[in-house]
Amino acid sequence: MECVVQGIIETQHVEALEILLQGLCGVQRERLRIHELCLKNGPHLGPVSSEVRLLCDLEQTEPSWTVRHVGGAMRGAGADQISVLVRTMVESKVSKNVLRMFYTLGYKLDHELLRVGFSFKFNRGAQITVRVSSVNKMLKLHATDEAVPVTPGIQMVEVTAPASDENYAEVAAAVQSFCEYLAPLLHLSKPGVSTGVVPTAAAAAASLMSDGGGTPL
Amino acid sequence: MPVRWILHWQPSQGTTVNSHILNEISQCVENFNGVKDGRCKTTITFYKPNLKDQSMSAQFPRDFLGISLMEQPNKYYLIIRDNKLVAEADSSILTIMEKLQSYKSKVALNCEGLQYNLGDFQMRLIKVVPNQAESLRGILMEIEYLPISSLENAKPIMEEFIEIWREVLSKKSLPGQFMRAEPIFADYGLSDNYSLQHTAVQYAAALPQLFASVQLRS
Repeated sequence: MECVVQGIIETQHVEALEILLQGLCGVQRERLRIHELCLKNGPHLGPVSSEVRLLCDLEQTEPSWTVRHVGGAMRGAGADQISVLVRTMVESKVSKNVLRMFYTLGYKLDHELLRVGFSFKFNRGAQITVRVSSVNKMLKLHATDEAVPVTPGIQMVEVTAPASDENYAEVAAAVQSFCEYLAPLLHLSKPGVSTGVVPTAAAAAASLMSDGGGTPL
Repeated sequence: MPVRWILHWQPSQGTTVNSHILNEISQCVENFNGVKDGRCKTTITFYKPNLKDQSMSAQFPRDFLGISLMEQPNKYYLIIRDNKLVAEADSSILTIMEKLQSYKSKVALNCEGLQYNLGDFQMRLIKVVPNQAESLRGILMEIEYLPISSLENAKPIMEEFIEIWREVLSKKSLPGQFMRAEPIFADYGLSDNYSLQHTAVQYAAALPQLFASVQLRS
């Protein structure tokens, strides 16, 4: 289970966001370069349509693979009241032949992406991860070296934190509270609820760039 | 990690495997100066595709199995024998498989046994029983040589040890013998350096031999 919010930011303000995150988190950023393959079951396999994501971390000396399954979002009055999406999410680290394994089992490639950017991982009431990345598509199958941005000039920001049935309310509150610090630069909302870029971003970015993030927003 | 060979008990024609044979082998290991040192357990699950239309089954692997080893409980090994595929995954892959609902468990086997220390060697005598039953389906033996992790380098030592072990066992005149399926690890993309993926592949190779001997008898 995880709590998640997403938003977008213009690439020209990403450096300011990085300065702000560096100041808020107090940890070093990690480079992010993930090849993401989305697979779906073939027409005859399984009672329902199913989707699984294979993530290849290209930042590692030896690329490492993870299988990720994202389930349905939590529903009901309680879920509506919080501005963070709570959903099931399971990951499993796997050996490098996982793509061949899923193809053999009858899964087909639906689409693939390359996410390039950076991330911050820190503890602030919850184990929060912020990922800032440009989302790229491949013009040829698996050609990660020739990837081009899906939305040039715009990068995606995702804030996630692992949660459980017992603590999701506290984790959601921690994520929500952290997002407020980023509000002058970008607005974060539940995935699928697009809020666009924020009008204060340029001024906030200029302020951050001029004093290196020393002044609280 | 140390090289390990997995042998399966092949009953002589017209005979069946039974707990008496298992006890006799166990005594032999103890007479061979084997010192009991704990238990071991491996669970093997056979999966079948969850199909809307059964006539499409030929398109999907028939021999997809998952192996869980007690010595590495946070990992799960997936094998598709026909395609010579083995993958190692965190055991959370089981939750993902449940959520995907594309394959369901057909049958599960428990391989439970005792571990014996013999100096640089370890032997594990394992009984194979179906998950929901007590009936003995077969006997396996794991032999591990602790100082060496290269399969190639360990081969002559393993062969020599097994020859001596067979001689010891032959004094009991039991109706059958231990055999090895000898899977070609390179076909699975595995190197000479031993890993638990090699163990998973050996289990996957030994099981059809057990079932073949059961079918032969029936």
